[in-house]
Amino acid sequence: MKFSRKTLAGFALILTVGLVLLFINLSGNSKPRDVTLVTHDSFVMSKALISDFNKTTGYNLKLLKAGDAGSLTNRLILTRKTPIGDAVFGIDNTFAGVATSNDIIDGSLNPTDFGDVCFNYDKIWFAQHKIPAPISVRDLALSKYKGLTVIENPNLSSTGLSFLAASVDKFGASGWQPYWQSLKDNGIKVDNGWEAAYFTDFSGSSGKGAFPIVLSYASSPADEVRANGQSQTASLLDGCFRQTEYVGVLKNAKNPAGAAAVVKYLLSPKFQATFPDAMYMYPSVAGTPIPAAWSKFTQIATHTFGDTLNFNANRKSWLTKWSAIFG
Amino acid sequence: MPIIFFGVLFYWPLGKILSLGFTSHLLSTVATQRNASLVWFTVWQAALSAGLSLLFGIPGAYVLYHRSFPGQKFLRALITVPFILPTIVVAIGFTAFRQLPIISALLMGHSGIPVIICANIFMNYSLAVRIVGGVWTTLDGAIEDAAALDGAGRLRTLKSITLPQLSNSIASAGALIFLYCAANFGIVLVLGGASTRTIETEIYVATTQYLDLQRTSGLVLVQTVLTVIAFVVAQRFSKGHMGFGSTTSLEARSRIDLRDLPAIALTAIFVGGLIVVPISTVMIRAFQVDSNFTFLNFTNLAGHGARDLLAISVGQATLNTFRNAIITVALSISVGVVVSYLISRSALKRKSRSFQRAMDIVFQMPVGISSVVLGIGYLVCFSGGLFPLRSSWLVTPIAQSLLTIPLVIRLIYPSLMTIDEELLESAETESADPSQIWWLIEIPIIRDVVVIATGYAAIVSIGEFGAANFLAYGDQGTLPTVLYQLISRPGAQNYGMAMATSSLLIALALVVVYALSALDREKG
Repeated sequence: MKFSRKTLAGFALILTVGLVLLFINLSGNSKPRDVTLVTHDSFVMSKALISDFNKTTGYNLKLLKAGDAGSLTNRLILTRKTPIGDAVFGIDNTFAGVATSNDIIDGSLNPTDFGDVCFNYDKIWFAQHKIPAPISVRDLALSKYKGLTVIENPNLSSTGLSFLAASVDKFGASGWQPYWQSLKDNGIKVDNGWEAAYFTDFSGSSGKGAFPIVLSYASSPADEVRANGQSQTASLLDGCFRQTEYVGVLKNAKNPAGAAAVVKYLLSPKFQATFPDAMYMYPSVAGTPIPAAWSKFTQIATHTFGDTLNFNANRKSWLTKWSAIFG
Repeated sequence: MPIIFFGVLFYWPLGKILSLGFTSHLLSTVATQRNASLVWFTVWQAALSAGLSLLFGIPGAYVLYHRSFPGQKFLRALITVPFILPTIVVAIGFTAFRQLPIISALLMGHSGIPVIICANIFMNYSLAVRIVGGVWTTLDGAIEDAAALDGAGRLRTLKSITLPQLSNSIASAGALIFLYCAANFGIVLVLGGASTRTIETEIYVATTQYLDLQRTSGLVLVQTVLTVIAFVVAQRFSKGHMGFGSTTSLEARSRIDLRDLPAIALTAIFVGGLIVVPISTVMIRAFQVDSNFTFLNFTNLAGHGARDLLAISVGQATLNTFRNAIITVALSISVGVVVSYLISRSALKRKSRSFQRAMDIVFQMPVGISSVVLGIGYLVCFSGGLFPLRSSWLVTPIAQSLLTIPLVIRLIYPSLMTIDEELLESAETESADPSQIWWLIEIPIIRDVVVIATGYAAIVSIGEFGAANFLAYGDQGTLPTVLYQLISRPGAQNYGMAMATSSLLIALALVVVYALSALDREKG
């Protein structure tokens, strides 16, 4: 080797210093009062609430994000023997069956919040084009709505999967595949994620896309209120899917008592009240107040579809059949 | 030391996930019709993207690195910006691009694949320009001038003198871009539709939605094979054209002139259309609320978003981002330079060429391997036990440096290979010791490239989303993770703030790359 020893030593030194720094950083890790809550990516808990939890319970709360509901559940299954946290928030009714059949929850999953997955439409677009807005999900297959709708791929997006389940429930075992074929023939656009569908293709968002109908949430119109005090969008309250999210204690948790305190806190009035503002979901505990903009611009569906189906048993067959239509 | 670093931080987590899914049926699960079409699409879209990036990139390298003109350094910095933009921002930029009359006419309808390829080129163009250009600046203009005096035309000089000298860097850039495009998850996810599936998106579905680790392992093996093939092909192409008599390029590069017109025109059209339009779309939207011009989105950045959405302010996220970038640069430049040096030395000695090739591939692997799998591997391996790395903030820059080290090697290694062997040998016979050779001959030659590599490592770290989203939680968020939090919620304020954050990222990348180019000794 022609490499100068000095130079080599220099680089080795940099690396060693780095590793030493690392271990200094690692020591003092995992104190007995620490409790870790594993969440999905969209979980929001303000600093004020975290310190309130720490103050009232005496624990030291740490948060760990682990992807969307599906990734979260599957990561917890992978690490179930030495779990990466003590409690989990964000497993929803589309993945609850997977969680319980793999035995990763100690005790029960407690519903914390819910939201309705519904189509939104751009009121201004329909007014300008003098076309009446759709009133049922069946309308989306009509020729006057040809090429106007954008949805999310159920293989990659929980929003997309929710509507797939709703369609299975609404149109039945023999009807849902023809329904999807008619949507495809009517030029429905499939994006891979909510962000792309809502912010690049939907005309009613600030992204000003080209599609006036998008699959989103019943709560979304409350966030599209313009200068005139009106929301630019509204929800189509047919064919909605009610997504419910849960909190629970993880099996083999290092700090089960701390985990139970976290569960209790997420169900407390103080935390429940933050769901609409922070996470765009309705609180599950009855009697929790709802913000004014919400009661003005959003409604929840009177009848929802698909939320009681067995996802665990059917997911693969639904997705395979859906992909055969769109593949 | 670099081997231990890679072994523990890359191969261990990867091996762990592979071993979880390894069964005797593995081959039969991989060899299916569906997988074959998947692999085919992944390969051809990546190959086409890499080929087109080089096609546009080589004239670009010529204009931006081999000639000189005012504003050149700014343009060099500008083309680097797309490389770091989070894919959702690229998608927003491209919706405008797609709506340009000429483009929509070319696309004829909504097929996502041409847009995916355009976006791939948009992001990787600067890699082609920089890697090829970095070597081009070190080439001795005298040989070309001599050829010109002998009556050789520009094209002939290019074909018989210049391109052979550049072949190493062209192959290097091609392989790297191919792998980035093959393993890119975000672009396909955001711009593709239901029917566009690549190996990487299938790995995501198999791993996160079905926990089908057998399928994951099979697909990762396919990725491994693809990565090895890409580099072996690249090595084959660059064989035998090493080290012309090149010295440092202290003499000024010639000014641009009329005969360069084709290259200038091509570069101008490319940079103007494919780079400036998407970037300015994002910048313009950052200054808009309800179609009115305003600074509101930027003043909003001081707070925590609509309804306190963000756990940390954008200011704190910027500081975290800078801190991660510094660690990433330190790690990746030190490891990258050592590895490039070792590989190039053994290459020049010829006797250990196969060893050198193997090492090259070992260190390039992270480019071609699924970040989804690596992320889960980190979770399984580093959550407790011997290395409870997972809970330290250092985990983010460490994971990011795994992504930047291959890039640093690909930038520095071709440049080390252009060092004249005879120069080294004559220095040795004149009893210069290795450290003198290193400091007096090699360092001056690679100095510019190291500056470029530093810039890349820094901006990759600044813009990196996958690892940061997975590893940097709570108050450790970075600019891209904050941006995603903003854009994954409805509402004009969040959208506006996300656009403002993107502009901040664009500005930051421009400043970092431009400031580093000021360190260039050359008087451009």
